[in-house]
Amino acid sequence: MFTKRRVVRFAFAAALIALVEAWIFSNVRAEFRSIVNSSQMRSVAVTAESFSALAPAEISSWLERLNRQGASYRLAWIDGIPEEGQALPATGDADLVRLYRDSVRDPEFLKGFDNVAYEERYRGAKIWSLGDVPYSLIFAPAPESPKAEPPRGEGVLLFAFDLAEQRSFERLLVVLLGAAFCVAVLVLWQVQFSRDPIVGFAVTGLFLMSLVFVAYPLFESARLSFVQEGKLTFQIWKTILTSRGYQAALKGSIRLGFWTATFSTLTGFLFAFVCSRTNARFRSFIAVMGTLPVISPPFSLTLSVILLFGNNGLITRWLGVTNFSIYGLRGLVLAQTMGMFPVAFLTLSGVLDAIDSTFEDAALDLSAGRWKTFTSVTLPLAFPGLLSAWLLVFTNSLADFANPLILSGDFRVLSLESYLEVTGMNRLGHGAALSLLLLMPTLSAFLAQRFWVGRRSYVTVTGKPSGRVTELTTPAVRFALLSLISLVVVFLLALYGTIVAGCFVKNWGIDYSFSLANIGEALTRGRDALFDTVTLAAAATPLAGVVAMIAALVIVRKKFHGKRLLEMLIMTPFALPGTLVGISYILAFNKPPLILVGTAAIIVINYAVRELPVGVEGGVASLRQIDPSIEEAATDLGADSATVFRTIVLPLVRPAFLSSLSYTFVRSMTAVSAVIFLISARWYHLTVLIYNFSENLRFGLASVLSTALIVIVFGVFGLMRLLIRKNENLAKSVGA
Amino acid sequence: MRSKSVRLENITKVFKDPQSGQNVPAVEDVSFEIAPGELVTLLGPSGCGKTTVLRMLSGFEPPTSGRILIGEQDVTNIPPNKRDTAMVFQSYGLFPHMNVFDNVAYGLKLRKVPRPAVQEKVMRFLEMVGLSALAKRPPSRLSGGQQQRVALVRSLIVEPSVLLLDEPLSNLDALLREQMRVEIRRLQRSLSITAMYVTHDRIEAMSLSDRIIVMKAGKIVQIGTPSEIYRDPVDTFVAGFVGKVAFFPCTVASVAEFCRVEVRGQNFDVPKWSEGLKARDEALVMCRPESLSLGNPGEGIEDGVVTANVYLGNSVESWVKSDQGDVLAQIDNPDMKKIWKEGEPVSLTFQPELAKVLKKS
Repeated sequence: MFTKRRVVRFAFAAALIALVEAWIFSNVRAEFRSIVNSSQMRSVAVTAESFSALAPAEISSWLERLNRQGASYRLAWIDGIPEEGQALPATGDADLVRLYRDSVRDPEFLKGFDNVAYEERYRGAKIWSLGDVPYSLIFAPAPESPKAEPPRGEGVLLFAFDLAEQRSFERLLVVLLGAAFCVAVLVLWQVQFSRDPIVGFAVTGLFLMSLVFVAYPLFESARLSFVQEGKLTFQIWKTILTSRGYQAALKGSIRLGFWTATFSTLTGFLFAFVCSRTNARFRSFIAVMGTLPVISPPFSLTLSVILLFGNNGLITRWLGVTNFSIYGLRGLVLAQTMGMFPVAFLTLSGVLDAIDSTFEDAALDLSAGRWKTFTSVTLPLAFPGLLSAWLLVFTNSLADFANPLILSGDFRVLSLESYLEVTGMNRLGHGAALSLLLLMPTLSAFLAQRFWVGRRSYVTVTGKPSGRVTELTTPAVRFALLSLISLVVVFLLALYGTIVAGCFVKNWGIDYSFSLANIGEALTRGRDALFDTVTLAAAATPLAGVVAMIAALVIVRKKFHGKRLLEMLIMTPFALPGTLVGISYILAFNKPPLILVGTAAIIVINYAVRELPVGVEGGVASLRQIDPSIEEAATDLGADSATVFRTIVLPLVRPAFLSSLSYTFVRSMTAVSAVIFLISARWYHLTVLIYNFSENLRFGLASVLSTALIVIVFGVFGLMRLLIRKNENLAKSVGA
Repeated sequence: MRSKSVRLENITKVFKDPQSGQNVPAVEDVSFEIAPGELVTLLGPSGCGKTTVLRMLSGFEPPTSGRILIGEQDVTNIPPNKRDTAMVFQSYGLFPHMNVFDNVAYGLKLRKVPRPAVQEKVMRFLEMVGLSALAKRPPSRLSGGQQQRVALVRSLIVEPSVLLLDEPLSNLDALLREQMRVEIRRLQRSLSITAMYVTHDRIEAMSLSDRIIVMKAGKIVQIGTPSEIYRDPVDTFVAGFVGKVAFFPCTVASVAEFCRVEVRGQNFDVPKWSEGLKARDEALVMCRPESLSLGNPGEGIEDGVVTANVYLGNSVESWVKSDQGDVLAQIDNPDMKKIWKEGEPVSLTFQPELAKVLKKS
């Protein structure tokens, strides 16, 4: 590969690019400096002009005013033109005057005064520092005014212009050109030395993407939590770790997570057990009900909890309770459990389905009773699954932001606290630190689930599904279990029903008469947001889907250095709380070299990057089942990597691709925690609008928009299920 | 078709063990040449590096060092999709989302062949293997042999300079394997295409090849025609790998026009012997089953007891348990000869003209 000719060609091209960039750099810098110079000279001229009109008594107050007003320069006036290191009286900016006293004999100053003596302005070539900030000096003649009383001779106006702006512009230029150079060299490298440049480009692109949109924002938020007023300090962390308020929020998050995880795991296990270990009827209906809340938009369940149990809620009023408030820990646990028990249900039904029921048969056969069998066989086998489900829900609950936002009341949790720091008090550093603090329990639960519990699973893969499941419950027990499930299901349906009912009611809590006014108003006021939401989600969906499949292909099939690192970077956003992602993004992208805040791009990128891990996992799993020789056969017949991807890989992983698409779309439609930081007047999100309506107690409007969102999301999900089902024949033949 | 020669020069491939990070040589200093239109088989036990050689030839693995030439062109650094080779995979690698026609047409479409020409050529090639009636079927609804034929035709239709076959018959049952062997040979001959065939099945190698390359532990042990490999193996490994064989210890008496050896007090003149053998060396006489015959105990070079007789019609295979292990003797035209019963003591004799004297290894 590294033939002499290629190396020479590469070196030559790289040198050429470097040369062109150096040329661009020097030109742009010279142009910028000349613009700065002429504008500074103009303000020097204007200032000198107004100086000449001054009476001697006014001079010092004039100088003081100018310096205090924070003009773009600092100014001092020297009475007379010093010769050969003469120290003449000077007034004006104290630092500047001191500088003059200290360096009257400096050749630069001598030269400056010389020029002034000939009525010329002079810009010093040296850079001086005043209080650690770099300045450049301009010496200008201060016109004499013989008519003044007493008459004033010629003097010197000493201007000091701040160089910081120019410096930061030049630094930006260097960063941009440097980045362009790196990218160009990488591309050249691939073209010259890689057998498969397309894969090289894909890997380079994925690395760039994950470095810029995952690593860089995280690094920025970590960095800013150590910086206050431009200085490195532990002050923010000290405040956060010692202040009672923040400690309460941390404790609150963990308490909420604990209870939600416990209740969700119990409910999930109940559902999963009935579905996979009994012959109860309506099992498929139960499974659907146990999955539904996963894709329901944020706020929807919370909203109906408020509509039912809020201060003016239907049930609160009906029962006539007055000293009860749903706002706080109880309400949050209720809303989160209803929204998150499906996570536990899906995990546990996977685990229970995979545990061969012959173990239970064996126990029954050894004449253990049913209860004994359950406690001594089923439960221990499912234990890693239970723990895993608990940890997953715990992570979800901690990262949850939508429910606390409208239901927390006085109860404090970290995710909400960091949002309030950023939006309420504009303390970005504090917000970043708080969400980083939230990352600790989230990340440790996530890692524990992944690497510790995940490996202890007792899932038994025999390949042979054992036909009928032995009934483990007596009819009485089954009746009890089913009643419990019915309770949950009825409650869930009531919650959904409440939202729909909310659309048609004039003013919930006060006036329950039928009305369509809310629908009209909500759709008018929400039309733009609805349009934005769908547009943004639709833009992010193909992006995330295609990138996910490319990443999966590269990870499964290609060999390259840094694969583990790339995999880790891509998967990271999965474990990050949305608030952290949102805060990191505004911290990283509201300044050069990448200013994205306020654009649609930042929202789309945020969606794509956050939903990528799930798509990649799906793609990886489905690619691992496909014989690599299928792709090799295509390559061998003359297809390059891009063609193989388009004509072979993408059609073969279609189910994974479609579900990645639908997942991204649904998640983007229902996003809130990160996107709430990134929306702007131009690009709004429906969920935020729902939040705003419910904040203002316009529950009718919020209900209409929630219903609209639910309809869209369920519609897309149903469509996707239909498309995937059509593909089942294919999936079978690929496996064979 | 343009058939081209293939040349490998000092090819070495070193893999890095992902666990230990150590370098593991898979192929060491392999050089050989295939003439245009020739079918050469790489034969060896699994893990000997034969598939790696094939994958380097097709471009899927870049060699660590050495050069690969197809015709006059150095293709060492050319990626597989730009190489004029076509590979038939062990698991066929048929595209499951395309029907038979589209599978076969894939390579032509990539080469921007106009649609009517594609149609015509695909049907002609499918006709050649008797599959034109199944053009619209998905691969999952074909039998193993049919899938194999589709894979073969899909590779042949792009008219490659070199056809590469990676154990293409290992997934078929015995009967089908024999049919496909004939079919592959017929197609390769009629298109006079240069081909490299990888297998660990000696019968496949013997029946298909113009020449066989025997590999062991990443190195070439012997290159030769099937009969050279069978009759004149370089060492006991090759002798044992390409067919049933028995070895009898002997002492070299003299080496001249023949290699005269003494086995159990009797002298034999053997026409083939390993290079470097000289008088008074301890060596082995290699005998194939068809060169062995049975006689009364004490008469031959080795005594033993018949443990089993397998009647095959045109021959009987008699297994004799002796001090040299279980020896197989093949007796042709069994219905005209004496067959020793199971349990009877016998002695073994051999025909020196068909034997070879090998160094002890």
